[in-house]
Amino acid sequence: MNKFLVFLEQREGIVKQASINAWNRVQELAVLQANSVVTGILAGPADTRQLDGRMAGYGVLYHAGDKRLRLYHQEYYTRFVEDIFNRERCSALYFADTALSRDLAPRLSVRLQASLLSGCTTADADRAGVSRPVYSGSSLAFFVPERQPRIYILSSCAPKSSDPVEGHINVIDVVPQCFTAEDIFPVVRQIVMREGPPDVAEARIIVAGGRGMGGAEGFTLLEQLALLLGGAVGASRAAVDEGWRPHADQIGQTGKTVAPALYFACGISGAVQHLAGIGSAGIVVAINSDPHAPIFNVADYALIGDVHIVLPKLLDSLQEFLKKQ
Amino acid sequence: MNIAVCVCQVPDTASVIGYVDGAIDRSRVNEVMNPYDEYALEEAVLVKERFEGSIVTVFSLVPDSAKEVLRKALTMGADRVVRVSCSEEVSDPFQTAQMLSRAISSFYPTGLPDLVFCGKQSTDFQSAQVPSMLAEILGMASVSGITSLRASGDFFRVEREVEGGIEYIDVTCPALLSAEKGLNEPRNTSIRAVMEARKKSIDILELNLHDEPYVVMTGLQPIERKKTCCIVPDEHELVRILSHECNLF
Repeated sequence: MNKFLVFLEQREGIVKQASINAWNRVQELAVLQANSVVTGILAGPADTRQLDGRMAGYGVLYHAGDKRLRLYHQEYYTRFVEDIFNRERCSALYFADTALSRDLAPRLSVRLQASLLSGCTTADADRAGVSRPVYSGSSLAFFVPERQPRIYILSSCAPKSSDPVEGHINVIDVVPQCFTAEDIFPVVRQIVMREGPPDVAEARIIVAGGRGMGGAEGFTLLEQLALLLGGAVGASRAAVDEGWRPHADQIGQTGKTVAPALYFACGISGAVQHLAGIGSAGIVVAINSDPHAPIFNVADYALIGDVHIVLPKLLDSLQEFLKKQ
Repeated sequence: MNIAVCVCQVPDTASVIGYVDGAIDRSRVNEVMNPYDEYALEEAVLVKERFEGSIVTVFSLVPDSAKEVLRKALTMGADRVVRVSCSEEVSDPFQTAQMLSRAISSFYPTGLPDLVFCGKQSTDFQSAQVPSMLAEILGMASVSGITSLRASGDFFRVEREVEGGIEYIDVTCPALLSAEKGLNEPRNTSIRAVMEARKKSIDILELNLHDEPYVVMTGLQPIERKKTCCIVPDEHELVRILSHECNLF
């Protein structure tokens, strides 16, 4: 029996969509491998009822709702995952690609003596090999694990649809044995969330701008477009380096890898480093005045023109369309 | 304070990675200090300047040809550099972390350094695994991808970006911290710094590679990106396509 353990991450009691997407992908992988079972693990207080209809397939979810696990705690989370992983005799552990998993997974790799494959764009169930972009997005590298067990960090992927899925998760409350009397550092004192639009890493629609936006003011148009569509504003490295947008908005190899259903690339030429960050995007729309810009190699639709002329017209068309809805 | 910094070398990201006979060609590529390691080293030097009597030692698992990167580390303010020379080439993050941990442990025989700084990831393979693995092997607390560091009494207070927000974290020494872009602005080096660097030592530590890799890279190929792009005549048409054909809104 192959037991796959999927780590679900919660923030303020809500299980992240990225974790639910990861669970659903692992369920798809499990279907391809005989005799495989998917189990979940969740640390911290969370409302598990909202998982019905979103998590596919059947499985058990071990939930430690202890308040001490509300915020990420490196050592406690490592021990909790290690305990359940070993107790359940799992063969593989899966994470969504988040700041937390990038901190936690390598420590677990050493502690469990498990191969860690991170940033996987594809996880081949038979060979257990994976691939991901390297060398600033110019190349695709293939990796195979040498050890059992295995840990995978799955790259974000656009969910196939938002229709409810078939399945039932059996939530089992567990009492974690990971705590100690004295404080173990590091300790997360608090998280301060940004107000307003979703983070680029989690947005379904992203409106991104590059050097062609000409300055911070140019991004006002993108903010308006994002607001109309309920999306997030992203930026290329050029725009961030110029100081027009914060690093948290940056998309690309030294920024975030995103997988929105719809991605607007406005005034972005399409350097390989940027393209690597949007490899898993659904529909890509490029708006650029240069018809030879490399961004058009990865765009599904294009509007050729100056962003400062095209965007106001696009905003008008969109506003008109939404009014009719 | 004893401060260790791990520095590696990577192809300059501005260089084009070429392929010759299906294999990667690094011959015409400029090798530079990993940009994230520059942030790590700069932060280490800033901490040294805050805590008098501190010593910054750079540990670097690089080939003999990497002299420029090691000199740069000294010029940026490291007090000494230890080049870790391995009997065979390391092939995965786990082996890299093991080699670095042995180098660091042997250098500080009475215990661990107070702080270890690493870059969040290297720009070539971008696995972002070595810092956390190294900390686990050394038995130290770690925080990955820090964007801010402040000394506050018995703690170091660090910040790191998470999706949609910032985590505020306290950590005590010994701790390993990996640097995210934006942590600081690496200093420009002066002629004086270059002269000072010449007086400092580069030690070589030879280690045998004992550990088997946890992961093996089996192939590398250029990424071909080609979609068929449909040029849309006007904004109305685009809105229609995205809503009615793609069902996006």
